[in-house]
Amino acid sequence: MNTLTTINELAFAPGLQQDTVEDTTSDHALLEATRSGDQDAFAELVSRYRNQITSYIYRMTNDYDGAVDLAQETFVRVYRARDRYQRSYAFSTYIYRIATNLAISELRKRKRRKLVSLTGFFQPTDGGEPKELNPPDGRPLQDAELVDTERRNAVQRAIGTLPEKYRAPLILRDVDGRSYDEIAAILETSEGTVKSRISRARGFLREKMRAYL
Amino acid sequence: MKDTRCEPVRRELEELTLNEAFSDSTSEHLSSCAECREFQRQQMKLRQIVSSLGTVNAPADFDFRLRARLAADSQRPSFRYWSFAVKGLATVAVLVVFGVGVVVVWQRGHEQAPIAKTQPPQTPAGPKQPERHQTIPAPAPEVTPTIAINNEPKRKADRSFVVRPKRSLTAVVDLSSERANIISNTMPALNTGTIFPIDASLQSLRVSLDDGRGNARTISFPTVSFGSQRVLTNANQFAPKGVW
Repeated sequence: MNTLTTINELAFAPGLQQDTVEDTTSDHALLEATRSGDQDAFAELVSRYRNQITSYIYRMTNDYDGAVDLAQETFVRVYRARDRYQRSYAFSTYIYRIATNLAISELRKRKRRKLVSLTGFFQPTDGGEPKELNPPDGRPLQDAELVDTERRNAVQRAIGTLPEKYRAPLILRDVDGRSYDEIAAILETSEGTVKSRISRARGFLREKMRAYL
Repeated sequence: MKDTRCEPVRRELEELTLNEAFSDSTSEHLSSCAECREFQRQQMKLRQIVSSLGTVNAPADFDFRLRARLAADSQRPSFRYWSFAVKGLATVAVLVVFGVGVVVVWQRGHEQAPIAKTQPPQTPAGPKQPERHQTIPAPAPEVTPTIAINNEPKRKADRSFVVRPKRSLTAVVDLSSERANIISNTMPALNTGTIFPIDASLQSLRVSLDDGRGNARTISFPTVSFGSQRVLTNANQFAPKGVW
């Protein structure tokens, strides 16, 4: 049984990805093993979900560094609550629920802080339209990939303007490809509500992305 | 004009995944409804763009940082213990503050009770609280407003009522109303057991002063209102000159 108690052990811990942990081991079994003190099992869980959780939180908050920090906090909470975990629902539902709550808390904190948009500094005094921070590129776009990149950036920004209750179901459905019942379990709401919110979110996006559609 | 079949068709288009096929009725409706076709086109385009966002990978040192965080977390006291300790301390602090407050209130209550029963000290200080004593001490700072005014040594009219400490004087105040209590002049000057009624200022006031040598003066005032200088001036007419 490996138990990490000091940071010094990090330098001498065996490479976790090299351990013979079968990929077919269910998430529940890994968490059970973690509860027994198996740190390798927990590391396997982390490797399975770290990208998904980081990506999900990034889509929610539009802040990569913050998303990494919150993703780590998600796994810390999973580890702390390992003794209380119940198998009544899927582990993915459980971990996504924690990640969703952390992301929403972060969004609410930002609202309270009322971050000032940098575009406000470029607001002309004659009352005209505020200018974007990035100066427009006058060269004609020749590469389709650039167009796609710009479109993805635009949709990411547009998602960032959605109300938080519409943002989460849209990302879970259209980005992560989850089913309605799974989304309903993560968000602790009904399927009907999930469908309604996704429909509203897409309506908002259609208006904002009209130039790209 | 929007067809009534548009709404269920659009609902189906919303709920389907990108690669899922339409139902026959939806296909049939789309072939005849331009608005729904445009809706379906925009819907598909939008969902393709959104799904192209893909997954953002965690940084390479994610595992390392997470383990460091878990190691640091395990060295701190557990959240439950800390939470319990904080709650316990908060409860104890509240109980201590409550107990101190009760003790302070109890002590103040005991201090004020004996003061209310005793005569105020014999100092020629200005009037304090307008407590309505029936006997005028010599001098009496804690008296009714009417009496208190009379006790101000600077007022010309008050000479009648200023009692000099070296004489043992008693004073009797008679409020000519059924509420007024008449105290006999045998009562000691320090007796302050009776309080004037609240509306004493509306009643006429009679003050009898006896200097112990057989000289007694009784002075009667008409109804005294607050700040009535003329009444006090008139009152001096009854005082024999040279006595005080």
